[in-house]
Parts: sequence; structure tokens; C-alpha cells
Amino acid sequence: MDSAFPEEVLEHVFSFVGSHADRNAISAVCRLWRRIERQSRRRIFVGNIYAVSPTIAIRRFPAARAVELKGKPHFADFNLVPYGWGGGAGAWISAMAEAWPWLEEIRLKRMVVSDESLEVLSRSFRNFRVLVLSSCEGFSTDGLAAVAANCRNLSVLDLRENEVEDRTGHWLNHFPESCTSLVTLNIAHLVSEVSFSAIERLVGRCPNLRTLRLNHSVTLDRLASLLCKAPQLSDIGTGGFSALPAEEVRPELYTKLESAFMGCKCLRSLSGFGDASPVYLSAVYSVCPGLTTLNLSYASLQSPDLVKMISRCPNLQQLWKVEFASSQVMDCIEDEGLEAVAESCRSLKELRVFPSDPYGQGPPVALTERGLVAISVGCPSLHSILYFCRQMTNVALQAVAHSRPNLTCFRLCIIDPRTTDYLTGQPLDTGFSAVVESCQGLRRLSLSGLLTDRVFERIGTLGHRLEMLSVAFAGDSDAGLHFILSGCPSLRKLEIRDCPFGDTALLANAGKLETMRSLWMSSCHVTLGACRALAEKMPRLNVEVIDEGWKPSSKRPDDWFVEKLYVYRTVAGPRLDMPSYVYTLPSQQGS
Amino acid sequence: MSESAMAIIKPEAMKSYIWLQTADGSIQQVEEEVAMFCPMICREILQKGMGSSKNYAISLPQRVNPAILSLILDYCRFHQVPGRSNKERKSFDEKFIRIDTKRLCELTSAADSLHLKPLVDLTSRALARMIEGKTPEEIRETFHLPDDLTEEEKLEPLKNTTDDPRIRLLNRLYAKKRKELKERQKLKNVEVEEEQVDKRSVDDLLSFINGGDGDSKGARASKHKKKNRRRKEQLKDTSNTEIKNVEKVDPFLCEESGSIYNGESKEDGNISLPGPNRTSRLLDSGDDAFISGVEFEDGDIDDELDPAMKEKLDREVELFAKRLNSDWPERMQEILSLGQERRVSTISTMNGNGSLHRYTGTLSCYLYSN
Repeated sequence: MDSAFPEEVLEHVFSFVGSHADRNAISAVCRLWRRIERQSRRRIFVGNIYAVSPTIAIRRFPAARAVELKGKPHFADFNLVPYGWGGGAGAWISAMAEAWPWLEEIRLKRMVVSDESLEVLSRSFRNFRVLVLSSCEGFSTDGLAAVAANCRNLSVLDLRENEVEDRTGHWLNHFPESCTSLVTLNIAHLVSEVSFSAIERLVGRCPNLRTLRLNHSVTLDRLASLLCKAPQLSDIGTGGFSALPAEEVRPELYTKLESAFMGCKCLRSLSGFGDASPVYLSAVYSVCPGLTTLNLSYASLQSPDLVKMISRCPNLQQLWKVEFASSQVMDCIEDEGLEAVAESCRSLKELRVFPSDPYGQGPPVALTERGLVAISVGCPSLHSILYFCRQMTNVALQAVAHSRPNLTCFRLCIIDPRTTDYLTGQPLDTGFSAVVESCQGLRRLSLSGLLTDRVFERIGTLGHRLEMLSVAFAGDSDAGLHFILSGCPSLRKLEIRDCPFGDTALLANAGKLETMRSLWMSSCHVTLGACRALAEKMPRLNVEVIDEGWKPSSKRPDDWFVEKLYVYRTVAGPRLDMPSYVYTLPSQQGS
Repeated sequence: MSESAMAIIKPEAMKSYIWLQTADGSIQQVEEEVAMFCPMICREILQKGMGSSKNYAISLPQRVNPAILSLILDYCRFHQVPGRSNKERKSFDEKFIRIDTKRLCELTSAADSLHLKPLVDLTSRALARMIEGKTPEEIRETFHLPDDLTEEEKLEPLKNTTDDPRIRLLNRLYAKKRKELKERQKLKNVEVEEEQVDKRSVDDLLSFINGGDGDSKGARASKHKKKNRRRKEQLKDTSNTEIKNVEKVDPFLCEESGSIYNGESKEDGNISLPGPNRTSRLLDSGDDAFISGVEFEDGDIDDELDPAMKEKLDREVELFAKRLNSDWPERMQEILSLGQERRVSTISTMNGNGSLHRYTGTLSCYLYSN
């Protein structure tokens, strides 16, 4: 490529390169490419909002049209990040409002968004089309009303699991009659009643609506009416799927429901069933052969009903389901369910099995390793697994490794910490080692069960493509952490809780931390002194210590064990929005 | 003549040709319908009446040389035929772009100058596919591009290396210890001897690793001088190779590190700092931030620290290394035997038999298995 290659053409070439990784690679090729790439990049992804400041991002990418931001660390999902830690979207939204008036899409994950910010957002971007809020908090339905009212061309309003203060279900009425552009509306996790008439009118005037996920307040017969109005839907969240009386079928409702579903010839994704009346389930069977995604993670269906439905879905690629505790002595009922899935859903690519009651006191989780092995052996395209269970063996893990070398994501969560291989009493080192050895493309791994430093040595050596690792209650010593940090060349995110990892490994691998997005360590053996040393040696890292018991009068000594440590690379320096119990250790001595 | 006879004669005799001239002066003629497929040529013909004779040959843009023109005309010749199916066209296209990178670039550029959008898109997509999945270094190689980003612009956390030599030292100590212990285990059968601690002092190890100065603790100042000089050299050498090893970077982070260092935008668009200005800035010793941005990273931070600070850091490292020295043999023993103990204890509890013989037997199995 000579120097005469026109810049506009180069930009045109880049327009066919979409992935963030590739565009980042382009940015590092040479000066010319860097300039052209940055001036033409439309989609920005910021995996950690504190790694960079809004000003920096805005200056670098003047042509941004779509932004995706992530705030809190992943372990926030497990209540490990205290309330008020940070992740505020306000500064970003204000800055973007001023600098990127042509912004069309905003996607926020694990951030705190206020109603004011939503109001600003709704008024600042003339072509705004897509808003996705995922695991966010801090706003109410008032903010949503502003978005509905002011975003003229809104096509996507996707409210995934958020903590929304539900003031009224009438916010939907704020969509003007002129709004006909909706393509996706996901309100499945909103708690309060939503105005059904508003939804009905909205659905009626949006011919391009493809995804509609309703919340529990929408009853079955209303669902049926909506579906009749929108047979073009490809993704339906049924809401509660309940009707009264729950056990007895009302024939006319059943018929209505059945024909409504039959009319949805394009349906590919189904979710909901939050409060389902099982007797109506068969009304849905007609769409099952076309389904590629089934999300039953909030479904209240019992296993036999689930199995019946799933076994009618031969083209299923993505299945999220909840396993159920066996309250009866019907052992392995959950495993049987998965065995049935393995037989019927040969195209399955992704499986997630959640525990029904993770924090509860109920009877223990019923799933065992049998289900996992059945799925792994039976589904040749399966590459992503999230699996909660109560027992596991090394042999089972080896079977998984052997039959599924194409795994890219393997998250195994054995409910009780430090559980051994129940047949041999051994740690699960061998099993997990087999997985990293066999699955060369593994990008994400979550460990559980009893594990020694040996497994970390294997992971460090063999996990060439591993990008994210989650560790809990595992390892024996610093060597474990050292193996990971000195190996795993692709590691981006490491999150650790309750492991005996400490200063030596952390400091010996300080440089590694700059090659990663972030490191989280809670309830480990890292001392404050080591954190100070780390912060001093590595000015391009923010070393944040979370100490909820801290009082102004207390002075922690250097050998005090840090409660929670969050280290991340940044070019923006220490953040300014920390609560009192979080402090960023200084990168200069004495400053 | 009968009409049918006329029909037979007509095509050949009446076919019209367009004259095209490339930048090198050579002129050729091309069937009109083929040439018209190019919007730029089409415009010249229709709006300016050019191309009908050798004297009025249409001058093609500079980016179109005869070889590339030939390729382009092949493309036009195929696609201007109306009857072809999509499948046929696609198949032709796929074969068409299977040319070397250099020609593909020339083709893209030439197609653009002729406003031949379908071909621009086809070739651009092909180039995009050649970029995808590659590291910056690989992309540079493919397209013969200069490696002209400055360190600060590329300021990227390097994969698995650190610039602080002390931390490198610790990594090396770790690796060294581990290796030593592994070897010892292979030679011996059962127990690990705790006595075989490395009796060399930290300083000895330091100097060993730094190239055998053999300094004692007393000569701290001179040692540092030597270390620093050596470090600078190391940095000069390593920084180049390390930069070249940058893979899968996220430069989205690194671009603005320039701004941390001197508070102003480092984008290429603004960078054209006039020559003298830039030099004077470099020479301005007060502007440490900018200088430390230009040179490479943490290694140089030492030079700006006062001796007391250096002492402190040195002490920390020593402490560190001492901990390593004392802890490691135990740790390694633990790691190696831990699996055994567990297995042994389970077996013994299961069988109620904890004989030493069984213990040693299983331990040796473990050592020789993987």
C-alpha cells in the first residue's frame, strides 16, 4: 500500500472492519491509519468507564454514533460491591450530550443512571434511536417517561435487569402518537403494572416491532390480543403467562392463545413464563420447532412441563433455564431433564442453568454432574456453558473436556465452596486442567470446588486464549495467583474472592496488571502495604481499596489485610467520585 | 442485401470502440459497452464527447496504470453483460480478487478514481478481510506500512513484561526457584530437603542477574549508576522489540496517555508542532512530564527519585526477595505434596491403613505422572 492510497478509500476499507479488537489493531499500525481510524470510528466500547475519561474519549473519536459503557466490576452481581461505590453515568451523559449531538445509541451496563441524566439524554440527541440499560440502577419510571416522550425516533428501549424505582405504569403513555419507530421494547423486569392500553396502542402503531418482552402484569388473554396485533414479532417475552383460575383451562382463552401463537410465523425467541399456568403451555407448542432461543431463567414452570416444551424445540441454539431443588426424593429429575435436552436439541450452542434459590435456605440444588456430561456429549455445537450444581467429579469434567474441545466459555458453579470430587475425595484440579488443556479456544472460565495451586499452574500454562477468569475459595498459596498472572497471555479480567493469595504474587506480577482491564480481589491475603507499593510503582493503575469499616479516626497499618481490592489500568488518573469507604492509593510517594 | 445478411454483417462492422489513455502515455481501445460500465469514462464520453478517436483519447486518472486498467476492463467486460445470474457474478468476483496484496491495493485505488463503486466495494471488503484478525505488526507486514507511532502514542501495557527491572528480577527469582526445586524433586525420590536453600545473598543474585558486577552492599551508589546505565541500554534495546511484540492492543487506552503527560492533545491532526518548538520543548528540563512521556516509562522514574527514595525501594525489594528465599522451598514442597496428602489421607481413611509404605508409593507415582 503506497502513500498515494487515498485516505477516503482507506476509510472505506475500514468501514468494513467492525469488531472493536480489529479497529484497535488498526489504530496501532501507523500514524496515518491511527488518524483515519479514529476519525471514522462509529462504535465505541469502554469496558471500564474509569479507564478513560469522557473528555479523552470524546476528543479521540469525534464521529461516534454508538457508545457502550460498563461501570461496576462483574462481582457487583454477587453483591460484593457496596452501594454507592460508583459507576455513575451522569458525567458521561453530560459530556456526550455536548460533544456528540449525533449520537444514536447508548448502552450502559452496571452503571448508576439518574432521572436527570435520562432527561438530558432524551433532549440532547436528535437522532437518538437505541437505549439499552443492563443491571443499572438509580432511575425511576419518570426518567423512562422522559425518554419515551422526547426521543422522536426511538427504535430500541431495552430495559434488562435493572433496579428501577417504579412510580407509575403510565410512563408508557408518554410515547407520542407519532411514535411508530419501535423495533424492540423490553420491559420484562419492571415490577409494577404497566398501562395495558398504552402498550396496545404502541404495538398497534409500530409495524416494525420485532421484540416485545412484557412484564408479569400482562395476563394471558391480553398477551393473546397483543400477539394478534403483532404477528411479525420474532422475540416474545410472555410476561407472567398466568390466567385465573390457574389449574383449569378456559377453552376460549386456550384457543385464542393457540391461534395467536400460530400466527407468529417469525417467532425465534421466547422468554417469560414468570408465573405460568402450566395448563396453557401446550398452546405455545406450535412455535417450538422454529425457536432458536428459549430463556426460562425466570420461569416458574416445573421440570416435567419444561422438558415437554424443550423437547419440542429441535432447532434450539440458546437455552437458559432454572434447575429446581428436588423437594421430593425424586433424585436426578433435573439430570433427566438435561438428558432429554441433550437428545432433542442437537443444535444447542449455549446453555445456562441457574439455581432456583441461590441465597435461600431451601433444600439443596438437585443437579449433578450427570446432566452436564449428557449435554456435553450430546450437543456437538455447544460452546458456552454456565452450570450450577451440587456435586462434580474429575471424571465428569474430563468427559466434558474430551467431548467439547470447542468450548469458549465454561462456568461451573458448585454451590458449596471447596467441594471435592465426591467419588474420590480429590480436589477438582485434574478435571479443570483437562478442560483448559482440551479447549484451546476457551475464553472465559469460572472455577469452583476444592482446588489447589496445581490447577492454576495448568491454567497459566495452557490458557492461551483465556480472557476472563473467576476464582472463589480456591488455591493454597501465592503460587496459585503467580501462575495465573505470569501465564495466561490473553487475560483481561481476573476476579478472585476468598482465596489465600497475597502480596508476593501480586507485586511480582505488577506489570501484568497493566495488560489487563481489571483485577478484583476480596477476602484474600493482600496487605495494605503491598497495595501501597503497587500503587507507587504503577502510576498507570488505579489501586482502589474498599474498606467499609473505615472511620476517619482509624489508621490502618501496612500489614492490615485489605477487605476488597480493585485494580484497573487507566489513563485518567484516580477517579473523583468515590464514596468515603473507597480510596485510591497514591501513585506518588506522599501525595 | 437481404435483411438477414445485413444482420450477420452488422455486429462486427458496427461495433464501436473507445480510446483510453493511461498516465504513462500509452493508448488503447476498448469496446464501448465495456468502457461505459465505468461511470467516469461514461461521463467523459457523454458530457465531453471524448474517446471516439485516438487523438481524443480519454485521459485516465494517474492511479490507473495499464496493467490495472486491463484488470478493471476484465471486470467491466464480465459484469456489463446483462444476462448473468447473481451466483455467476459472485463466483467471478471471488476469483477476481484473488490477487496479491500490492495489486489489490492498486486495484482498489484505481477503481475509486474511476468511480466504479461495485469494484471499490468488492476490493475494499477484500482488504478488510485481510486486516481482520491480525495484530498491528502483522498488518504492517502485509501492507508494508511504516512503524512510525511514537512510544507515547503506542504506550501500551506490554503483554507479560514489565519495565521495572526490580519486578522483572522478582519474576526471574520466582522462575529460577521453581525450576531448581522441580529439578531437585526429579533427582530425589521422596522428601525434599529444606536445607538446600540458596545461600547467596540477594545482592549476589541481583548482580548475577544484572551481569556480574560482584558489588557488595556498601557500593550502593555506584551500583545504582551502573544499574541505571544498564537499564537505559536495556530499555533502548528492549523497547523496540517489545513494541514490536505488541499484540491485541487496546490502544483506545493508550492514545491519550500523551495527554496525561503534558495535558494537551496528541492527535496527529494537532501534532504538527513546528520543528523548533518541539526541539525546545524536548530540551526544556522543566517540562519533565513531556520528557518522561517521550522516553520510555517506569524505568526512568528512578532517575528522578532522590537517593532516600531509592534506598527505601531497594530495601523493599530486598525484603521481598528474602521472603521469596525463605518461603519458596516450603511452598513448593507444599504444592508438590499437597495432592499426595489428600489422596493419601482419603485412602487411609477409607482403608483405615496409613502405612508409610503406601505413602511413599503413591508420592513417587505422583512425581512421575503429569
